[in-house]
Amino acid sequence: MSVGFLVLAVFLIMGGCAVAVMVAVALTTRAAPLPQASVQFRGYVLRRWWFRVLGSAVVVAFVISIPWFPYPHAKQLQAQRHYRVVAEQFGFQLPEAVPLNTPIIFDVTSQDVNHGFGIYDPTGVLVSQVQAMPDYVNHLSVEFTTPGRYLVRCLEYCGIAHANMQASFEVK
Amino acid sequence: MQALTARDLDRARSVMWTYVSTGLAIFGLMAFVGLAMRLEQAGWLSYGPDIFYALMTLHGAGMIVAIAIASMGGLWYLMSLEAPLDEGIAYWAYALMVVGVIGVLVSVLGGHFGAAWTFLYPLPFVGTWWPSWATGAFLIGMAFIMIGWTLWCAQMLACVLTRYGGFRGALAWELVFHAREFEASGKKPPPPQAFAALVAAVDGLLTGTLGMVLGIALIVHWLDPSVRLDPLWAKNLTYFFGHSLANLTIYMAVAGVYVAMPRYTRREYHTSAALAVAWWATLIFVATAYFHHLYMDFVQFPAFQYVGEAASYLAAIPTAVITVYGSLMLVYRSQMRWSLGSLFIYAGLIGWIVGGFGALLDATIPFNIDLHNTLWVPGHFHTYLLEGVVLFVLGWVFMMLEERSATISPVIVRWLVGIGIFGGGALFLLGFYISGADGVPRRYATQPAPGPELSAWASIGAVILLVGLTIALVEGIRLAAVGRRRTT
Repeated sequence: MSVGFLVLAVFLIMGGCAVAVMVAVALTTRAAPLPQASVQFRGYVLRRWWFRVLGSAVVVAFVISIPWFPYPHAKQLQAQRHYRVVAEQFGFQLPEAVPLNTPIIFDVTSQDVNHGFGIYDPTGVLVSQVQAMPDYVNHLSVEFTTPGRYLVRCLEYCGIAHANMQASFEVK
Repeated sequence: MQALTARDLDRARSVMWTYVSTGLAIFGLMAFVGLAMRLEQAGWLSYGPDIFYALMTLHGAGMIVAIAIASMGGLWYLMSLEAPLDEGIAYWAYALMVVGVIGVLVSVLGGHFGAAWTFLYPLPFVGTWWPSWATGAFLIGMAFIMIGWTLWCAQMLACVLTRYGGFRGALAWELVFHAREFEASGKKPPPPQAFAALVAAVDGLLTGTLGMVLGIALIVHWLDPSVRLDPLWAKNLTYFFGHSLANLTIYMAVAGVYVAMPRYTRREYHTSAALAVAWWATLIFVATAYFHHLYMDFVQFPAFQYVGEAASYLAAIPTAVITVYGSLMLVYRSQMRWSLGSLFIYAGLIGWIVGGFGALLDATIPFNIDLHNTLWVPGHFHTYLLEGVVLFVLGWVFMMLEERSATISPVIVRWLVGIGIFGGGALFLLGFYISGADGVPRRYATQPAPGPELSAWASIGAVILLVGLTIALVEGIRLAAVGRRRTT
């Protein structure tokens, strides 16, 4: 399963749980009403726990995500092979081929407006991306573990032929 | 505080209805523009990319302004019940925004300006298929909108500061740090909706000011292309202004939730220290979460990326722990009066939470690599704007209409509206989420598979949604007529 669909599954589960809780609370209005004071008493106790659980979840999620940030990798790989990518309305200047199972760095820039450098694997899954900006070079670290033809699509709106702005390279 | 006369109340209501009806009218028009975009992506219409991107620009700019104007009207009215507000200033702000909207309309419909509502520098000036005057009209139109917005925010800030005794009073500082002395003094903290006004005013002034700086810089470049801007600087300002304004529309509309929920549940929503602190946090996170729009700009100062993720996560806590949880405490085992108004508001909380989940996942940097600028992004913001903020506004409107007419809508109407807005809405939104998870890029006039097929399903959902909204409109007109007969 791709990361995108994994995220979708998590989203549907979380969203479904939220809807279920909200509907369940709405249905309690069919029962005999309670005085607000008694609801508040129990509600505030529960809220303290809700705050602790949610606060902890946020901190844990943040800490867990840090090792997966793409930023340090690009800096650490100064000794790796670099491939220059230049985006321009409405195409990419790309290497013909890049090596398999080898950490490489794409040095991505633009000659005109902002573009996106989105890499799709041979099965059509979006595997990595970075912005292509004029006046700046973004360093994207990638290691391809599957050989084949990879498609590049522009992932930042760049003008009338934005949807047709694509290129490809071989991983071998 | 001096009591409002019946005339003052009528004037305040006039301001509110002017803003709210204008906002909802623009929203309705922009909804059809959005449908036209989805139909093009589905392959059921074929009018070409030049028109598509012009419509996309109009839809984005128009929707955010529509929702902002409607929310501003509701909050202005609520604050006018707290302290006298000069309606002349409100009408000036309104007029400036309407002039701005006209500028945007002329630019897009007359000149086919199509650089998107984000108009990321230097896109409005490079590879254009529209005339130069259209760029100028769009930028000047947006500048007018910003000036109107800033004027409204300044009036709100003046209102909360004078009414509650400066920042210290408006922030409920004494309640938080000297609770016993504060309670012993017999003073009352600002009501919950005043915190929404304070946050909208402070973050709004910041947003408006930085938006104007960017706008002026772009207008200068338009007049003299030899003046070059830094693209990263421009991108930061664009998303600071765009993200913060979109976020503030939610928080402004939430003020209506704080007032409407107690009326429907017959319970009280009071200001606690926790609520005050939650709004302090919101004040900060609204202004700092925008960094998540630049995750894929690796040249951005690295600490900003960490701040972006942290702020995006932390922004969820005040929402989930205070506003939504507090609303659930009001509804739980209450004598809730279920009507279209209360259904809209309650469902709006669901849309806000579900859309927030989508936003949190996208704001997680390792996931953002797979979701950035895919259709996931419009998926989550359509959820919390369409099924959140718009429902809050509709809930507020129906609450006013129900109170004036002393009646509620028949069950069949509630079901039809519910199926249309929630059923059609779910189908419409799922098209975005599934496409985004599959890596289909956003802002493509023609999409790779499975985009067109999912766009077709989303279009069907959008049509059902529009039918539901139309039934709600007709019902709203009926309730207004009943109310008019009853009061005359």
